[in-house]
Parts: sequence; C-alpha cells; structure tokens
Amino acid sequence: MIPKLNYVAPLSLKRTLKILSENKKKAKILAGGTDILPGFHINSKRFRDIELLVDIKKIGELKLIKEFKDRVEIGACVTFSQICESDTFKKFFPLLVKSAETVGSVQIRNRATVVGNCVNNAPCADSVPPLLVYDAKIEIQSLKRKRVISLQKFLIKPYSTALKKNEVVTKIIIPKPDPDFKGDFYKLGRRRAVAISRISLALLLKKKAGIIDELRIASGAVTPIGARLHELEKFAKDKKADSSTFKELSILMGKKVLQITGLRWSSEYKLPVLQQVFYQLLEKVNEEE
Amino acid sequence: MKKNKILKKIKLRFTLNGEPVELETLPNKRLLDLLRDDLNLTGTKEGCSIGECGACTVIVNDKAVNSCLMLAGEINGSAIITIEGISQNGNLHPLQENFLKFGAVQCGFCIPGMILSAYALLNKNRRPDEETIKEAIAGNLCRCTGYKQIIEAIKNTKL
Repeated sequence: MIPKLNYVAPLSLKRTLKILSENKKKAKILAGGTDILPGFHINSKRFRDIELLVDIKKIGELKLIKEFKDRVEIGACVTFSQICESDTFKKFFPLLVKSAETVGSVQIRNRATVVGNCVNNAPCADSVPPLLVYDAKIEIQSLKRKRVISLQKFLIKPYSTALKKNEVVTKIIIPKPDPDFKGDFYKLGRRRAVAISRISLALLLKKKAGIIDELRIASGAVTPIGARLHELEKFAKDKKADSSTFKELSILMGKKVLQITGLRWSSEYKLPVLQQVFYQLLEKVNEEE
Repeated sequence: MKKNKILKKIKLRFTLNGEPVELETLPNKRLLDLLRDDLNLTGTKEGCSIGECGACTVIVNDKAVNSCLMLAGEINGSAIITIEGISQNGNLHPLQENFLKFGAVQCGFCIPGMILSAYALLNKNRRPDEETIKEAIAGNLCRCTGYKQIIEAIKNTKL
C-alpha cells in the first residue's frame, strides 16, 4: 500500500530545490524508486512521514554520464543499466560495472540509480565499495549553495547520509584512476540474481617491481556501511606483493571486521569465508598483468 | 492530520500498447494498479509487490520494469507495452506461440511477465545465447516449470 501522498515531477533543478525548501519535513526525492516503493509496502518507518514525492527524472541534466579528461560524472538519475552499458565505465571503472551487473535484476537495474544506492546507504549497497576505492565524490546542491564532499564522508551510518532535507545530490564525481591500478569486485549473495549481498569487496592494487605501492580496500555488507579499510591499506604499503603478505592481510581483515561489528551469531562462519574470499581476491588481482 | 490530507489528482499522457491515452488518476497509485484497476488490463499480475518476482513486468520505453515499483506519475510521456499489446492483428506473438509449443506454461501466473522480459531482450538482441536469456529472466520467478521449457521457448523464437 502506498500511503496518502502527493507527487510532483518538476522540470528543473531550481524548481526541485524550491519545492524541497518549502516542504522540508514531508518531501522526499524520488529517483529510481526501487527502495522507496518496497519500503512503503512493508510500512518501513523510514518512509512513513512522507507527504510529497518529488520525482527528479524529468530533469534532463541529471540523466547523463559525462566524461572529462580527468574524471567521469554520474548524474543523479543514471541507472545501473546505463553503467552496465557504458563503454567509458567499462574502460575506466570496471569494478563499478561488475558491481552494477550484480544489482537486482534487469527490471531493477533499468530503474535503480547509482546515486540512489548511495543516498539510501544500505549496508549491502553494491555500488558503494567500488565507488569508495575509486575515491568518488558527491556533489550536493541546495537553493543557496553547492558543496562537494567525499563519498566516505557522505555516508554516515546505515540508511543515513550527510544529505539535508533541502538538498539534492546532483552527481557523483569519480577521478579516472592511474592506469597502473588493477582490481576486482566480489559479491556473495544467497543466489545469483535478485540477491542482497552478504559479503562484498572491492580492491585496487598498484605495484612497483613486486612491491605494493598502493592498495585500496573497501567492504560492504560485512561492515555496518560500505567502508574503506585504511588500517589494512597502510599495513600493505611497501610490502612485497606475495602470498605471505596477503595471508597477513586476510588475518587482519578478519580481526578488523570483528572489531567493527563485534561478535555475532554469524561471525563463526562468516569471518573465515570473508578472510578466504579476500585472500583469493588479492591473489587474483596480483596475478593480473 | 495526515488522514485528512488532500490528494491532488495527476494528469497523465502516454501511449499504451501503441494507442495514445490521457487520464487523471491518484498521485499515490502504482503503475500496476493503474493498469489493472483503472485500465482493466489484468494480464499484468501482482506477485510479491516488492520487485522480486517479476510477475508485474511491463515494458516502459523499450525496457522491462517492475510495475509494482513505479508510480503512475512516472510514466507520463512514456510508451507502455503490456502483455495485452504484443499480439499482432489478432495473432499471438511468436514468443507466445513458442511458450505454448514448448510447454513453457503451467499455472501461467508468471508468464505475462516472463514473456515481456523475453520480449525486451529479443528486441535488443535477436539471437541471445542461453546465459543471456537466463540473465534477462533472472528477475522473473517461476515455481512450476523449472525454467527449462521457458528458456527453450525463448531460444527458439525468431522475430
């Protein structure tokens, strides 16, 4: 059941911002709708107070993927299907494409947006770990100002972000990575499609003569929200890119996640799986030429 | 206070199965309910209501979507195709013919959605391999057939 609410689809960003500033408490932005509509159905308290849905999909500029010399921008209404089909993303951000391909089903990917995935900030948000290792930034607009913050700072806690009621996320900005980075994305769900991630990992590795110059690691689902694991990244720096370093890193990974989440009923089987898949992912990325 | 809230009707213009439609409806109506209740197109089914089963699949601007996850307002200006709209001059669509021929229909509840997912796929890719077919119907659950006959029916459809 959809609660009693009104619907508007403004044609410009300015109009959207005006509507939001006038209806601060009760308005909610609608992009893909694939989180909000199921939320209504289960009467989720996150969406119970909405009185006005502001559909931003009629705003042309928000539907675009834009490539620049040093970066790529994802507009607020860009869908996962658009990412899956984008040659630019296949070339520069293969981890994001791989994660996009694992989201829901064709039907979901045709509607769900990458920005929506970040704004919803579910622990299992599939696009978040890749975006984190690519150092993505979020552009936020209100009537009075525009601000850009890192995705990491944007994500505060499960289902909560730095976005204010009178603001719209207009785009995600991702710097093109150094081509020496190799990486991969891993997702474990209960089945292959329409599955919520139980473990997701994104890795980027840059080596110099067999030594780890930079390793970027982000996790999803096993941490309360998608997060970079900076301690592990620091530990890896300047170590030999070999099995013994990777084993140490995997042990550390287990310790770190346990430290973050505390001991849970699922820890006993989840942690060894996490350590093993992390280790295999490191080995796989390291073997890539 | 919320109970007394006034809902502002929304005006919609779109094409439905090739025909232009203009109507007014409630702002909190899902596309699924607009099709079934307002337009009497009950070939589109409601299963899980949360985008997992695909029984409510329709085509919006050439793309398969879950009509349970869309509000009616979102289709303004779009082209919608439902299962009622894919037959040609009173003849079943080749996909429908093949679903019958290959025994791909048992209880039939998932079939409208299944056929529309296949329809969107074949309009983009005339000769999909088995993996591509599986990927295209991954969002459509069938608890009767085990999918084998469905995949065969799609694979053998030439548009």
